[in-house]
Amino acid sequence: MRPRVFALVAALVGLVALRAEAIEIQEVKTPLGIKAWLVEDKSAPLVALSFSFAGGAASEPESQKGVTSLMAIMLTDGAGPLDAEAFRRRQEDAAAYLGFGASDDRVGGTLRVLTANRDQGFDLLRLALTEPRFDADMLDQRRAQAIAGLNQAEQRPRTVAERTLMATMFAGHPYSRDSSGLRETLKTLTPADLKSRASALLRRDGLIVAAVGDIDAQELARQLDRAFGGLPDGKPQAALPGWNPPDKPRMLTIERPVPQSSVVMAMPGILRSDPDWYAALILSHILGGGQQSRLFEQVREKRGLAYSVSASLRSSDKAGMLVISTGSANERVAEAIHVIQGELARLRADGVTEQEVADAKTYLSGALALSLDSSGAIAGLLHSQQVDGLPRDFLDHRADLIAAVPKADVDRVARRLLRDDVMTTIVVGKPVGLAVER
Amino acid sequence: MAVERRPLDTFTLDNGLQVIVLPSGRAPIVTQLLVYKVGSADETFGRTGIAHFLEHMMFKGTATLGPGEFSRTVARNGGRDNAYTGFDATGYHQTIAADRLDLVMRMEADRMAGLRIEEKELRPEREVVLEERRMRIDNVPGALLDESVRAALFGEHKPYAMPTAGYVEDVKKLGAEDLAAFYRRFYAPDNAALIVAGDTTAEAVRKLAEIHYGPIPGRGIEPRHRPSEGPADLPRLVTRADVRVAQPNWSRDYLAPSYRAGDSRHAYALQVLAHLFGGGETSRLWRALVAESRLALSASAEYSPLSLGLSSFGVAAAPARVEAIPDIERAVADQMKRVLDGEVKADEVERTQNRLLAAAIYAQDSLGSGPRRYAAALATGNDIADVEAWPQRIAAVTASDVTAAARHVWRDERAVTSVLKPSGGAR
Repeated sequence: MRPRVFALVAALVGLVALRAEAIEIQEVKTPLGIKAWLVEDKSAPLVALSFSFAGGAASEPESQKGVTSLMAIMLTDGAGPLDAEAFRRRQEDAAAYLGFGASDDRVGGTLRVLTANRDQGFDLLRLALTEPRFDADMLDQRRAQAIAGLNQAEQRPRTVAERTLMATMFAGHPYSRDSSGLRETLKTLTPADLKSRASALLRRDGLIVAAVGDIDAQELARQLDRAFGGLPDGKPQAALPGWNPPDKPRMLTIERPVPQSSVVMAMPGILRSDPDWYAALILSHILGGGQQSRLFEQVREKRGLAYSVSASLRSSDKAGMLVISTGSANERVAEAIHVIQGELARLRADGVTEQEVADAKTYLSGALALSLDSSGAIAGLLHSQQVDGLPRDFLDHRADLIAAVPKADVDRVARRLLRDDVMTTIVVGKPVGLAVER
Repeated sequence: MAVERRPLDTFTLDNGLQVIVLPSGRAPIVTQLLVYKVGSADETFGRTGIAHFLEHMMFKGTATLGPGEFSRTVARNGGRDNAYTGFDATGYHQTIAADRLDLVMRMEADRMAGLRIEEKELRPEREVVLEERRMRIDNVPGALLDESVRAALFGEHKPYAMPTAGYVEDVKKLGAEDLAAFYRRFYAPDNAALIVAGDTTAEAVRKLAEIHYGPIPGRGIEPRHRPSEGPADLPRLVTRADVRVAQPNWSRDYLAPSYRAGDSRHAYALQVLAHLFGGGETSRLWRALVAESRLALSASAEYSPLSLGLSSFGVAAAPARVEAIPDIERAVADQMKRVLDGEVKADEVERTQNRLLAAAIYAQDSLGSGPRRYAAALATGNDIADVEAWPQRIAAVTASDVTAAARHVWRDERAVTSVLKPSGGAR
């Protein structure tokens, strides 16, 4: 047994400098018809895989809220001949990391394995996808953890604010329900429920795969067919209903005994496919993206009203939002909200400056590269690029798409999106001096 | 076993600034991390929060840059920057296109010697610092309990007992001169290390470092001291009942040696021990408390050797019910006894070593992890050779080393037990 440790030591200290090269994405199509994007990179002795299936928590029945998320977590809790502990030991012995999770729209996973243990890593992936066990005792364990997680989340002001926001803005739509489920529904879930959820969602149609690392196209094709080939074809369930965004302003407070109130303010945003996407990205950056944004300057730097204040675009299959988040002492949170509202009004009325647009473009063009600092991060980007329906050469053109946005478009999108007449504001804490519904 | 060197260059400028270069050509970007060998443990009781407040003020202007201009310039050039304060270290870092290294190095050197702390900038920033404390600590019952645990474990008013964020009443009192005095005392090239990683070369970094940092004179900073002993009143129990707690938590923390303090020969075996005892779902603690007895929803052990003074070894469990806490204590004691009795054998140690080493390989795949690792090591009294020898030293740990380390650290007279639980009353 001893030599294996020494092999790892040698691999660790012998890791060579990574080569400089532009990201070159190949499209791989396997004999069984599975498609994947691949960046071959031999500079580190590992492979990172990022993948997902069409359909997520939003399409689960209301009576089984939480089933998709729990199913995803439990894919690595035993499969085929291996119970949960044996499965974990296999992962450890192969130094492989395999994990799954669910969003509203998709069930996704990542695999990371050292080159030397590639077969074992993909074997575990195949087992998890095609023969998950959902043993009753493991389900009990995960259920208890999930319920404890819900209990804790109810005491975290930031999480309460986020969940209340979703419940309010998406009232009546599947997105309103949190994917981690409800105590009542979690309590009723059975292994059979999880099994049927898995066979409904884990299908080859709608599968998206990205791979980065020390693997060539032919070998990747072979491994993908081994891992995913046993899954059934066929379309996942019907599409989600459309969303009717709020048509009036709302402000809600949820009381929690904390010194600092958490605030989220959200307006209907835009879909990723909207032609105004890049203008909105620039707008959101100018408003609240980082340490030079208007909100940072006005709320934090000038007045010291918050440590963290930011704005960001969020988009899913059926909806988009522009969300502003901050946290401020109960006594001062009313002022923080007032200042934010004032900045939104100013931006809507007066627009942005040429300098702000130029700075935002430089940042947004450069910042993407800064986050691509590991194989897993690159695989994640290539995966989301496919989810968004972007072409393989998208990264070559992204900077041009950003650069082409004129200031007039940003001003127009400011008028389109920054609307206090449809803004939902959630405050969680013990805010002083806010006129609100409760 | 032949050990190849990692691609690393190091040199020291005449003024004492140590420089490490970690070249990597994967992407055309660089990370500069300047770490000062000073942290909140260098404060005195009654004046807590200075190191962290000063870190905030480092973004508020110098003789040549206006307030906020540092970060604004980095962002305008497509980069990102931030900073952190710990007990032993304060770090400032930027990641940016490789051809902008000159720019960020010029600005970082500028604020090493030319900081201006002005009252009108200090006033709103004090509120920001207090909001940060509210967000991270005052809003979080577990974090408030941690403050009490550290005070009990390291001794009231001692360096590692004082919170890095500072006590609210101290932060409210701090003035520009408090911060300026701390800055003058600790911010100097011979009390710092510069780590540059990414698409650059040692020659390029040396040239730029000499231009920008070279002219700043060293100060002959006196060595830092940390207490070599813990308090005499252990063991202790610290409890926090809080209406905001929905799930109880049980932990026990032991004073432990670090790489540089206490009986440091145990530092590597303790890392192996923490992993096999409570690192993930195949660990002894998880199997006994979560998978088999269902007393807990999760269980873990934690140890870091990176401390200039003594460190701590922590064991924690999330009880399934508050009433299960006495059973959890018994179950943990039983698991510890097995280890202390020598139940850990070579194959278990070897599996753990494999996991630790594999995690390090994955970490090396990430550009950011290298600078952080060197910064943390250098700021806690280690040198480059220590960082490079880590894989071999972990691989050399034997089962009897692990048992000996457990026997050294798991002693009642070095322990603080803590319980976080819900209290009655309305939400």
